[in-house]
Amino acid sequence: MEPDHRDHKCHRPSAFQKMEGLVREMQDTEHGGVPVRSQKLFLTSIPAAFMGYDLIEWLMERLGIEESEALNIANQLCQYGYFFPISDSKNLVVKDDSSLYRFQNPYYWPWQNRPPDNVEYAIYLSKRTLRNKQRHGLEEYEIEAMSNLKKNLANKWDFITQQAEEQVKLSKGLKKADKLVSDSQERAYWRVHRPPPGMVSSLEPCPVPTRSWNGGTRTRKKTIEDCKREVELLKNSLSRTRVKVSQALEGMVQYVEIYMEYDPLITPTQPSNPWVSEDLTYWQLNSPLEVMMHRLRKSFEVMVKRVDVPTEKRVRRWALSMEELVSDPTGLQEFTNYLRKEYSHENIRFWMAVQDLRRSAQSQIAWKVQEIFDEFLAPGAPCEINIDGKTMEKVQQEMKTPTRFTFDSAQEHVYTLLLKKDCYPRFIRSEYYKNLLATGIQPSQKKRFFGFGQTKKKVSTTTAPNQQLLQQQQQSSQGTVVMCGALSKRRGSDRSLSGSAHELAISGVKETKVPHSHSQSNLSDIPYRGDLARIAKLPAVTAVTSCNQTHSNVSPVKKPSIAIVAGASTSEDVCPWESGAAEPRSRKNSAAIDSGSSSSDLSVAITEVSEKVQRSCMLTQQHTLDSCRNLSAQPAEPQRRASVSVPIQHSSEPAGSSRRKVSSFEESSAAGGSASAAAHPPSKPSAPANLSETDNKTDEKVSKTLKKSHSLLKTFTSATGGGSNAPTISVSPVMDDVPSEESSSNTRKDEKDELSIYCIQEPMAPLAEPDSESPGSELPPSEVGEMLEREQEVEQGECEGQVAQEQGEAKANDVCPWEDEETCKVDTPFVKTYATLGYL
Amino acid sequence: MDLENKENQSETIESLTKEAETLKKKLEDERQKLNDVTLAQVAERLDIINYMNIKPRRTLKGHQAKVLCSDWSPDKRHIVSSSQDGKMIIWDAFTTNKEHAVTMPTTWVMACAYAPSGNLVACGGLDNKVTVYPLSLEEDVSLKKKTVGTHTSYMSCCIFPNSDQQILTGSGDSTCALWDVESGQLLQSFHGHSSDVMAIDLAPSETGNTFVSGSCDKMVLIWDMRTGNCVQSFEGHESDVNSVKFHPSGDAVGTGSDDATCRLFDLRADKEIAIYSKESIIFGSNSVDFSVSGRLLFAGYNDYTVNVWDTLKCARVCLLYGHENRVSCLQVSPDGTALSTGSWDYTLRVIFFCKNYIFV
Repeated sequence: MEPDHRDHKCHRPSAFQKMEGLVREMQDTEHGGVPVRSQKLFLTSIPAAFMGYDLIEWLMERLGIEESEALNIANQLCQYGYFFPISDSKNLVVKDDSSLYRFQNPYYWPWQNRPPDNVEYAIYLSKRTLRNKQRHGLEEYEIEAMSNLKKNLANKWDFITQQAEEQVKLSKGLKKADKLVSDSQERAYWRVHRPPPGMVSSLEPCPVPTRSWNGGTRTRKKTIEDCKREVELLKNSLSRTRVKVSQALEGMVQYVEIYMEYDPLITPTQPSNPWVSEDLTYWQLNSPLEVMMHRLRKSFEVMVKRVDVPTEKRVRRWALSMEELVSDPTGLQEFTNYLRKEYSHENIRFWMAVQDLRRSAQSQIAWKVQEIFDEFLAPGAPCEINIDGKTMEKVQQEMKTPTRFTFDSAQEHVYTLLLKKDCYPRFIRSEYYKNLLATGIQPSQKKRFFGFGQTKKKVSTTTAPNQQLLQQQQQSSQGTVVMCGALSKRRGSDRSLSGSAHELAISGVKETKVPHSHSQSNLSDIPYRGDLARIAKLPAVTAVTSCNQTHSNVSPVKKPSIAIVAGASTSEDVCPWESGAAEPRSRKNSAAIDSGSSSSDLSVAITEVSEKVQRSCMLTQQHTLDSCRNLSAQPAEPQRRASVSVPIQHSSEPAGSSRRKVSSFEESSAAGGSASAAAHPPSKPSAPANLSETDNKTDEKVSKTLKKSHSLLKTFTSATGGGSNAPTISVSPVMDDVPSEESSSNTRKDEKDELSIYCIQEPMAPLAEPDSESPGSELPPSEVGEMLEREQEVEQGECEGQVAQEQGEAKANDVCPWEDEETCKVDTPFVKTYATLGYL
Repeated sequence: MDLENKENQSETIESLTKEAETLKKKLEDERQKLNDVTLAQVAERLDIINYMNIKPRRTLKGHQAKVLCSDWSPDKRHIVSSSQDGKMIIWDAFTTNKEHAVTMPTTWVMACAYAPSGNLVACGGLDNKVTVYPLSLEEDVSLKKKTVGTHTSYMSCCIFPNSDQQILTGSGDSTCALWDVESGQLLQSFHGHSSDVMAIDLAPSETGNTFVSGSCDKMVLIWDMRTGNCVQSFEGHESDVNSVKFHPSGDAVGTGSDDATCRLFDLRADKEIAIYSKESIIFGSNSVDFSVSGRLLFAGYNDYTVNVWDTLKCARVCLLYGHENRVSCLQVSPDGTALSTGSWDYTLRVIFFCKNYIFV
């Protein structure tokens, strides 16, 4: 805290110093300043002026910066009044063209002495009234200001007019050119200090006392205590152990290297960044458990039920450090579960209890301290933890005056010695953890090959740009104007106003690219539209059962069906595959699974599916437990049948396929529901969420309300947008489900009806592009794109399960590139497509 | 007698100041001994992040005056923001809907914060008070407001230290304070700055009991919340420190200052390890934040721009324009998926950007 000898009477931000330095350099024409001369404009000659682009050029050269940045700096300087446009007295804006500017007289530079007072302003205004009306007439706001001043300064008004007259007289002696210059400078000065209403002023006073113009005392006077404290601190600092800079830096670089993979602003998120795609999946996948710490604490008991399957990436992150593990509620819970299995979870429970204590209200401290002591530390406590005598002594000492930090020493002991050095490494090495890792969800692996932005490309395809798309583009170009893009964007934009040209170029590129990529990729996508939902659905159906699974080596795909049977013990029909006509298929399914287990590639894929299944189980379970249960447990047979029939009528497809689709629809509906629920954990009153849900459903223009519940929409769009058969079918099943899902309102049904109608109207050809009229295409392109990707994922999962029987069915299925990739039974063409997509 | 006393005192102050000076020199020597390499050298092996693809995603319009502060909700999509005219708005940033608008009985609400549960927000400013508002959809939020603590000068910053039950504030009276939300009791006060505290931030660790503060006395101090003692201090800035943020690793602190620089101070090496500045950056930085890996440092400036720094290479990655007035606050969302900026131009923006893989 070095003593500051600066004069604190006037606080002056250091920026002014720098600006003045720069402006002085500019004015130094002899040593390469900005060229200032009399400029000819038509027939008049304008003294002491320089041109916009000379200024920008100078700044670019002087500071080694891009044009956009130079323009920004020039505008700042202008706003502060270091120079001003000659022909525009209203706007303090610098343009990079031949418009003329003039330097302000240093006398008028801002923040020199003190802000100008009203008397000076009044003098200035009355001066102008004394002069040529045409040239010096007051603006409207100035007239208003003057009449106000007249009222407020009535007692000084004589003095003011006198001064004004004097000054006018004086100025008459000046040469014409000089007069012109000084008049303009004075005017510019007041333009800065008394800006017209609605204009931004950079000199607006800050209400914070120490930062305003007249500063006040910046630093509090030091008391003897301050000095003592400072010396104390310095002494302590001297004895502090510090590491070599190289060591510290190496540590930091390593940290960053590890975490860059988890940084959504550096490494694209899987499956997509919600802010870009409008798809909430990422958040759902990474949401914490609903069980909050305080709930845990109340009973010191963690819910045994697993309510979530974390993503693989998230699980991997837990292995980075103990801190990572315990700062993720899901991680903490898994850890606790593991330790419970080992009968050694008292340590972690103690640790959590102390964490909770630390965060408790003051009024709760006393009893919580006692409670923790009784539970964990007292001799013969029900859950006694093992700490050494010394720590125990300390705790007992602290217990006399209970605070939130009473158990810190014990907690530290438990944390570093027991948890971090013993339990944590064991956990990370354990089968339990490996299982978690293996079953973790891997959202769209393929996606990593796409940069984001890819999504847009796909959608913008050949179809006429629909409204949303247009909007989006507008937005983005607007965005650039607003955000002006990165520096590099401006490069080559040739003095255009902003980077928008660049942006446009990009979007142009996207569009031109579309033709190659889309044909095939869309082929593959479309048929699967419904599947997306389905995957999610699968899990939903099996949620109840699967959550109890121990994730043994049993093939995951099998589980769902088994689980379903069990869960819905009464009717086989509940299982989508096994129901009715689909029965043969289910057999095939299992066959596929068997073969899968033998061929490693397939099995990989299968695991994926299972992961997804589980994950979605979690989702549904967590958020819509009830409804989900209803869904899965109810013998919904008849309804389903009915629904199936509907699609069949409309589609000429074989019943079997429709069946399949039905199941997927169901899934999708559930997924939709669960997704939206997930977005707004029930614990919070989620009125908006519910609203939006209903909105979307009731509204035929579903896609327009997109923003509200994206997930839902997505399901719908996935169903409808493709224009393929699948969607149609899928919708109708949803209807059927409605009754079984008691929790969902009837309105839902209605909408779905509408939707289904909608879908039916869609072209049935599986290969059809999403056309602009279809609700799906109304989605902002990025979203659709995202969807596509998701679908692909889903498809992949789907495909895996159904590969065997479906291949004959829809040509499109064969096309799914992901599947191909996954199974490595690659159809070369697809791989190629994929590659092109990725690297374009 | 009185006079003599005073003289004695001033002597001790003088002698203490002298002692402090010599200690500082020693300290600096100690630090220099271990100063064997620069960050940019260590980071040489890393790839350059040279181009960011910028996507302005949302613009939140609704404030009628300068936005002074904002904070993300732990749910990753809501934002609370406060403005010069005394309004506090809770946004669903994802939909850009306003969910609550509260009018405070003061202007210049310079600080606002979301509680970890997401059910509570705190704010304050020129009223010198920190007030909490429980959020509920059923009734008017301002009905349940509760004043928790009062400073003797404006409150410049506040934060919930991992708990809904406590709140930590920084103030123009040059102190920081920890309050019990329920009772309004002052749990701990933190003396050590000699001028206005402008910013505070918590250590990222779950178990951490430390926080950092930056002040107009140009100092950055690290505090122990339990004891109320300052445990480490950093100087180097040439003007007011407007913003402080812990590096996600918890081993360093990033700062933004009126001297137009941002700096990185390492706690273990006990010294400044990086300075982020350019000749072309003239104006002060109001707000800084790290991406979740700590690789990127975002800084909002008085010249209406946001600079993105590569913390390791100590180079600027890109420069964002867009706001039409000073960028007063800026924060990376809790899961790192987006960046929010608030400005004196009355708006907030949510920006996404990403290293671009396609158009390299």
